[in-house]
Amino acid sequence: MNPPPSLITRRNFLGKTAAGAGAGLVLGAPHILRAADSTAASNKINVALVGMGKQGRVLFEAMSNIPGLHFQAVCDIWEYNLKGGMAKVRALQGEAPKGYADVDEMLASEKGLDAVIVATPDFWHSPHTVKCLEAGLHVYCEKMMSNTIEGARAIVRAAEKSGKLCQIGHQRRSNPRYRYTLDKLIKEHKICGQIVNINGQWNRAVASSQDLGYNPKLLIKPDILQKYGYKDMHQFMNWRTYRDLSGGPISDLGAHQIDIFGWFLGTPPKSVFASGGNDYFKNREHFDNVMCIFEYDTPQGGVRAFYQVLTTTSAGGGFSESFMGSEATIKISEISSSSAIYREDSAPSWDDLVKRGILKRSPAPPKPAPSADAVASYESAAPEVFELPGGFSKPAHQPHLENFFAAIHGKAKLTCDARHAFESEAPIYWVNPSALSKQPIQFTAEHLSV
Amino acid sequence: MATESTPHDNKLALTYGAILLRLWLAIRAIQTGLEKFSGTRITDKAVSVDGAVNEYGLSAATATKQYAISNYSGVPDALMDKFKAEPLMMGFGLKIYDAILGPALILLGFAILLGVASRTSLFLLGLLYISLTWGLILINQNDGVAWLGTHMVLVALALMLAENNRFTLTKKW
Repeated sequence: MNPPPSLITRRNFLGKTAAGAGAGLVLGAPHILRAADSTAASNKINVALVGMGKQGRVLFEAMSNIPGLHFQAVCDIWEYNLKGGMAKVRALQGEAPKGYADVDEMLASEKGLDAVIVATPDFWHSPHTVKCLEAGLHVYCEKMMSNTIEGARAIVRAAEKSGKLCQIGHQRRSNPRYRYTLDKLIKEHKICGQIVNINGQWNRAVASSQDLGYNPKLLIKPDILQKYGYKDMHQFMNWRTYRDLSGGPISDLGAHQIDIFGWFLGTPPKSVFASGGNDYFKNREHFDNVMCIFEYDTPQGGVRAFYQVLTTTSAGGGFSESFMGSEATIKISEISSSSAIYREDSAPSWDDLVKRGILKRSPAPPKPAPSADAVASYESAAPEVFELPGGFSKPAHQPHLENFFAAIHGKAKLTCDARHAFESEAPIYWVNPSALSKQPIQFTAEHLSV
Repeated sequence: MATESTPHDNKLALTYGAILLRLWLAIRAIQTGLEKFSGTRITDKAVSVDGAVNEYGLSAATATKQYAISNYSGVPDALMDKFKAEPLMMGFGLKIYDAILGPALILLGFAILLGVASRTSLFLLGLLYISLTWGLILINQNDGVAWLGTHMVLVALALMLAENNRFTLTKKW
């Protein structure tokens, strides 16, 4: 298999961003990678699950709806997760998988594996993914690709060297609503007009952001914890709050949504300016409250994208991304009830789009009563509200996993291969440094290229 | 002119009270148990865009509630994870509890409804509510504890009215 084309290189980065010529090329087109090896012939994919914590279980539940998979092995350093994962597999397929605590041991012992699902903590993503790719396996790796940009670069290099498929878990890339919105509404019908602003947020309640507890009877032995990079059980359970083990909330939560900014605009940002602090969780290493502004150059003009992640407050609409243009705003989220499309009063009529089933008019909200504290002449006319013609009812990660397995069978292209994921993630690695230095960062090839 | 109630009237009122409490507690237990076998069946239909079925997988879903053995979940998943993290909670005990909670509620509910060993059934239902209360105390769900407390009051009241209970299949226990 030929190595995939490099979309950002140190050589061509400046030319692309300066001229805006990278738009539509850099993040817009799904990477073309598909496998057509012996797996396709046997029509059964032997899968190993590496990491059976919370996210590993989420992925497994989504995979349990996908036919043609055989879960051959489960790997986790915590016996509690390992046994629980093996029991779930056994319950699903009636046959217990092999269990391992160590990936190296698993790769040395297991024959006939086709693919690995990596759902370990972020700082293990790159070592585990690289090992599995080098062992000749296709890999689905949770995002972020790593807690460091160097780790992410290593995955891209290993994927391209091995020629194996490497899907990164930015699952919105396979979400029907996101794909439809981008292809039909933004690209084909251009309903937003000129997009000038993006607003994204993940406001998470303080109750959902507390440290995770653990049963003292289920402790991992200290030597095992240290072998795998944890100083104690608390750090093992709460690795997301430690700088050496993860990228913090902007990486955990923000990466999913900042990914959409570049994907929809079809170009990488040219700068980031961030602010962050430990405003509530005083003793955490990572910021609990981060805000950042990315600037993009697109063929239509400049776009400013604001993103905030809070770990103290859920009010304000949870998580969503809004693409705000001269003719419409598309507010989109993994949660359908948080999604809506608002047509500006001055935009051309969408009656034809509604008639053709491309959009659906939402029921009109009740008209607010006249208020004495509002100055009518300052207000814009309320936009009409529309919605997508349909939704989807599968678990959020299922389409992305389906895409991965279909690509293994040679029947689909990956929607988020390692290189495209890197291009999406690279700017995110610079949010915390910008917040720490309190300085904007103008991106160069050194910042964003492999 | 005020009228004095007769012993006969009081007896009738106590009997009505016993029956109403018995029905309430029985229905509460039976339906709560049955709900643990409920699930949602989602039926998807692909939506048409521009006169053709869309290629993105967008669909219109219709959700219908259904009951099946395979849907059974005694302790809700959201609570199960919290219980597992509790040092005082025994893992094997939690599994057993998860398995028997739904059937126990249904059996006790029907026993109370039909009047099979009414007093003992009420007593066992009270114990079951105490066990639920203990679990909720562990995970600091005080609203739920208070909610179960009202159930306990009703169970105790039903036991106090037991001698007025009528229309039972068995008189013993």
